[in-house]
Amino acid sequence: MAETVVKIENLVKRYKDLIAVDHLCLDIREGEIFGLLGPNGSGKTTTINCLLSLLDFDKGEIEIFGKKMTPVSYDIKRNIGVVMQNVAVFNELNVRENIDYFCGLYIKDKEKRRQCVDDAIKFVGLEEFTKFFPKKLSGGLLRRLNIACGIAHKPKLIIFDEPTVAVDPQSRNNILEGIQKLNREGATVIYTSHYMEEVEQLCSRIVIMDKGKKIAEGSKEQLKKMIKNTETVEIEISDVPESTMNRLRELPHVYEAGCNENKLEIKCSGGKHNLVRILGVLQDDNLNFGRVYSELPTLNDVFLEITGKELRDKD
Amino acid sequence: MFFHSLKYELKVGLRNKELIMWLMIFPVVLGTFFKIAFGNIYNSETVSTIPVAVVENVENEVFDAVMTGIAESEEPLFKAEYTDADSAAELLEKGDISGIIYVDADGLTMGVSETDGVEPSIIESFIRQYTARETVIKAAAEKNPMNISAAVEAMEIGEDINSNIPLTDGNTDPYIQYFYNLIAMVGLFGSLTGLHIAIENQANLSVTGARNNVSPVNKLTKIIASLLGSCLAQAVCVIISTSYIAFVLGIDFGSRLPLVYLSGILGGCVGVSMGFFVGSIGSMGVGAKAGILMSVSMVGCALSGLMVGDIKATVSEHAPIINKINPAAVISDSFYCLNLYSDYDKYIEKIVTMLIIIVIFTVGGFLMTRRKKYASL
Repeated sequence: MAETVVKIENLVKRYKDLIAVDHLCLDIREGEIFGLLGPNGSGKTTTINCLLSLLDFDKGEIEIFGKKMTPVSYDIKRNIGVVMQNVAVFNELNVRENIDYFCGLYIKDKEKRRQCVDDAIKFVGLEEFTKFFPKKLSGGLLRRLNIACGIAHKPKLIIFDEPTVAVDPQSRNNILEGIQKLNREGATVIYTSHYMEEVEQLCSRIVIMDKGKKIAEGSKEQLKKMIKNTETVEIEISDVPESTMNRLRELPHVYEAGCNENKLEIKCSGGKHNLVRILGVLQDDNLNFGRVYSELPTLNDVFLEITGKELRDKD
Repeated sequence: MFFHSLKYELKVGLRNKELIMWLMIFPVVLGTFFKIAFGNIYNSETVSTIPVAVVENVENEVFDAVMTGIAESEEPLFKAEYTDADSAAELLEKGDISGIIYVDADGLTMGVSETDGVEPSIIESFIRQYTARETVIKAAAEKNPMNISAAVEAMEIGEDINSNIPLTDGNTDPYIQYFYNLIAMVGLFGSLTGLHIAIENQANLSVTGARNNVSPVNKLTKIIASLLGSCLAQAVCVIISTSYIAFVLGIDFGSRLPLVYLSGILGGCVGVSMGFFVGSIGSMGVGAKAGILMSVSMVGCALSGLMVGDIKATVSEHAPIINKINPAAVISDSFYCLNLYSDYDKYIEKIVTMLIIIVIFTVGGFLMTRRKKYASL
């Protein structure tokens, strides 16, 4: 089993009467991309800020690389890279200078730093923009600069706090590919997001948070096995008689069936050949139907089933 | 790490358009306006020989002796033309003379076309002084006619009694005070750079603050490097604006220009430390803190005489402590001490006061900023 890089035990953070983080325990292992998933206000960023010793907390223990994390744990901090949710760069410095400035807070040796800055510029694809000042960069390029500033010193642990908020799809894909590349090169990654698709695509292990609490933990496969739903079948159909609906509900593994706005939705729990059996019932009753979809459960379904609400508002 | 932070603090400071605007462009423009607005007044106050007509209705030997003495002095106060009343009135109407002195049996009177202005006032002052001293001069002339020139000399000195007697070879004109205050204001505007340092080193006030706080750099080292970088950037701005005032606008700061620069640079450091101190207080937004700083700077400069020349004297009379602790007054006083006093005692006192202010603000700011963790971000 891989070594533990981050260990959070019983973390509690209160803002007056509000409990932002509620007795949270996390165990993040070397080499994994660890996803912290939850809706806005679920406590993800607060947890990260406590982890980085920026925020005071009421209770709990935090260890990174096997040592207690404090604000003056410079040996630990030297191996951590942080990509903040908001872009943190100086408008008066150009791309190269910004990266060099932040990298210089970690690496003294000029030659080594020059190499690291070059690597970071190449990594985020800003070679053509090194002399540009931040105000001249597009939103996507600015995000890439923000990432380069956070990872230029080649840290062992990189924390990405919602790095794709307000980023166009192309830049988002670049960022996600970059994170996977960093992980392949040996970095342990903590990735917080409320975009379940990203977390699903990236993370080897996921913790879902809500109201400051950990509500589920595991790989995406493990999380999906935690819920009843294994398959959702959707069929475009104009009208379904109640007798047909009853026959569908009586099929093995079907636990929920409903028809709404010319769309039949049937949720199944386990079993094989659910789709074949459902279509068989419709054919037996001589009902015409249009397109048919069969979807496996998403992390949103996991969140929905555990908390009774959507993970995030529909965009 | 220290020099790395220092280098980038300098770059950020010297490229910050807002700061360049307030620290370089604004004083250059305002200094130019001061020169345009007050330069003419200043020139008109530099009195040259005043042309007057003398109408002697009765003969007055003492008065004649006084006028001869004045005419023979190195910088004569009057150029007198003895004539009759009609010709004098004609000359006055043409503007060839500034006034008429009538010598009558019961004393001197004057005739001027306008009562306002410096020259009529000087003629009036001369007549007043002559009248007051005529008896003394007459007595001196009667007892010992050789003493009359000494009496006249005494009267000329009397003309100077109301003006400043320079203790140095510096420029003690009151209007120079506006430029001193302008340089003091440039220094206090440096508080904006100090504010940025406080903001960018606190995780609860800026994202860059958060990023700086997660780096493995000692906070004190980082802040000292930033403060030093800001003071250097500020020094560049003060040197440029002071040089512009001295060499382009031609304002005479006396013979101790290097010490004027020193005062200006220390004034800038006072501004930076003040900004750092205010920026470190509480978790108010940047805009609110910048507003407080600008208000403090402007009120300080106003009380030190930037807007109304003699307000500092009024403050000194009614609340002298304000002038002692008002950074703007301390900075502008240090300039004034350079020109007013031949020794350095008062100047050193002001420099020490500035250093104390810098230390108090810096230590106070650091004590507030050194907080290791924040209650909320």
